[in-house]
Amino acid sequence: MRLILLAALLTAFIAAISAGAVKIDLFNMSEIERNIFLDVRLPRVVLAGLVGAALALSGVLFQYVMKNPLADSFTTGVSASSAMGAVIAIMLGLMPYIPLFALAGGLAGLCLVSRIASHRGRIQPITMLLAGIVLSTFASATISFMKFLSDDAVSSIIFWLMGGFQAATASKDMILFAVICLSFLMIRDDYLKLDILCFDDTTASSTGVDVNRLRKKLFFAAALLTAFSVGYAGIIGFVGLIIPHILRLGNFVKASYLLPASLIGGAAFMIATDLIARTILQEGQELPVGVITSSIGGVFFLYLLIKRRKELFYFN
Amino acid sequence: MIPKRKLKKEKKGAGRLVRTLFLGITLCLMFFSPALAYEKIVVLYPAVSPILIELGALDMIVGTTRSDHAVKGVVKVGSHLRPNIELLNALAPDLIIAGSRRAFPYEMKERVKADIFYYDPATLDDILVKIKKIGAMLERKDKAENLVARLKKRLSEISSLPRQPSVIYEVMAEPLRVAGKKSILTSIISAAGGNNLVSINKKHAVISTEKVLKLTPDFYVYQVGPMNKNPVPPEERPFYKSLKSKFIRINELEFARPGINAFDAAVKLNIIFKGAAHE
Repeated sequence: MRLILLAALLTAFIAAISAGAVKIDLFNMSEIERNIFLDVRLPRVVLAGLVGAALALSGVLFQYVMKNPLADSFTTGVSASSAMGAVIAIMLGLMPYIPLFALAGGLAGLCLVSRIASHRGRIQPITMLLAGIVLSTFASATISFMKFLSDDAVSSIIFWLMGGFQAATASKDMILFAVICLSFLMIRDDYLKLDILCFDDTTASSTGVDVNRLRKKLFFAAALLTAFSVGYAGIIGFVGLIIPHILRLGNFVKASYLLPASLIGGAAFMIATDLIARTILQEGQELPVGVITSSIGGVFFLYLLIKRRKELFYFN
Repeated sequence: MIPKRKLKKEKKGAGRLVRTLFLGITLCLMFFSPALAYEKIVVLYPAVSPILIELGALDMIVGTTRSDHAVKGVVKVGSHLRPNIELLNALAPDLIIAGSRRAFPYEMKERVKADIFYYDPATLDDILVKIKKIGAMLERKDKAENLVARLKKRLSEISSLPRQPSVIYEVMAEPLRVAGKKSILTSIISAAGGNNLVSINKKHAVISTEKVLKLTPDFYVYQVGPMNKNPVPPEERPFYKSLKSKFIRINELEFARPGINAFDAAVKLNIIFKGAAHE
């Protein structure tokens, strides 16, 4: 199964670097084509892969924190608060600082949700989920208000929020790669604890797991990954939700399998969807990648619901 | 007893009198009635206000959008996409000038008792036609003709270029949106002697940066304004480092609004093209 995932990633990567708005013969490139390949296409494909990996990993981490398979960066409010930060930057005309504002927004959202959901130093998953939904609603309302205030900039806000990798650069790739490595290293030794966390908190605590500390660490890592992803690529929905679900269906249940597989699966999925987004229209036009991920995500969830409704019915 | 023949004659005479009176009144109404021109106008498209000012109709404007800075001291009725219907009705205008049917749809039109004029020109010629139409509606045909003549004269200042330069016009940097075939900017570029390389049949199109590099325009014009606030200059964007184009920064409000300013914009762009040709 792991080999299949790696093959999927490799296939998506090769397809993505081979196709695009401009036809390029990879083995015989002119100067312009070489520039397009090195300055535009390659950084973009790499950024798409990294953002996909980051979002899928953050989705898994949020699901562990909340003990809820439907949790992701949207339900925790981190995505919306990052987007709010980015929209403030757009409104103030501070375009080069969008990632910084998105990061600040995401971290502020993280602190707020974590503060609301903590009681006597312990994080309550249900409270956190509810606080996340409230924060998400509040951030969305603020974004709508800012759109209303800046009529002329409304299209730039809308298009930015739809997500995309047009502004990919090698430096962004490197920063996001470092963030993913850092987050992954933070949780690398906690695989067993994550599996135990799937049981109830008392069982996890009785085995020596510091549940509260682990939750805080996971939440911080997931929020960091989301904030950087939103800052670099806008809001891209459903990746953190569908990739872990697909992988669980493929028997990647243990954390030691699920987390690395999420990285690979997320990267492959995002590279493939970005390839569709930039090649589906003619004359070099592009679709926002968020439109494609959300459409595929919606269809996939419907499929899951229809396929599993019988067992869910009997389970209930 | 009145004889029958006399009665018939009198009836005939009365009928003739009624007909003459009717004709007379109709002629009087046609020639001597007060003009039915518009008196209270709300402008929902900022590019129109300078035209109305030029036509001497400033005092007719009773309301504008909040982004319209050409007219001071009138009621601001909201934005061009969301005008406040209560305010519109309170102003009781007899004419509303809106941008397009999408901006002021039929449902909204139903709720306001005023005539609606849609101003949505796609070319410089369209602007001239619209100016004439507005002039006729406000009974200021002469002033409209004068304005049209002046704008045409302004365009005649454009000098021919040794070679038609190719252009890409950036409307927004992130994501990259450029002016398409249906944009007024294509007409401005064309009037200035250039050629917009983007032939997509839309006003604006989100296109790939790969495509820009492949097209390699002579000029990469990027606007700075509400739609593209403080963008990173293209020459500083890593993915454009190999782009050999000349980067031109222009003011969005001078170029992207399809009004009188568009003619000055064409002349200005022509000067830039000419300057580059001499370099």
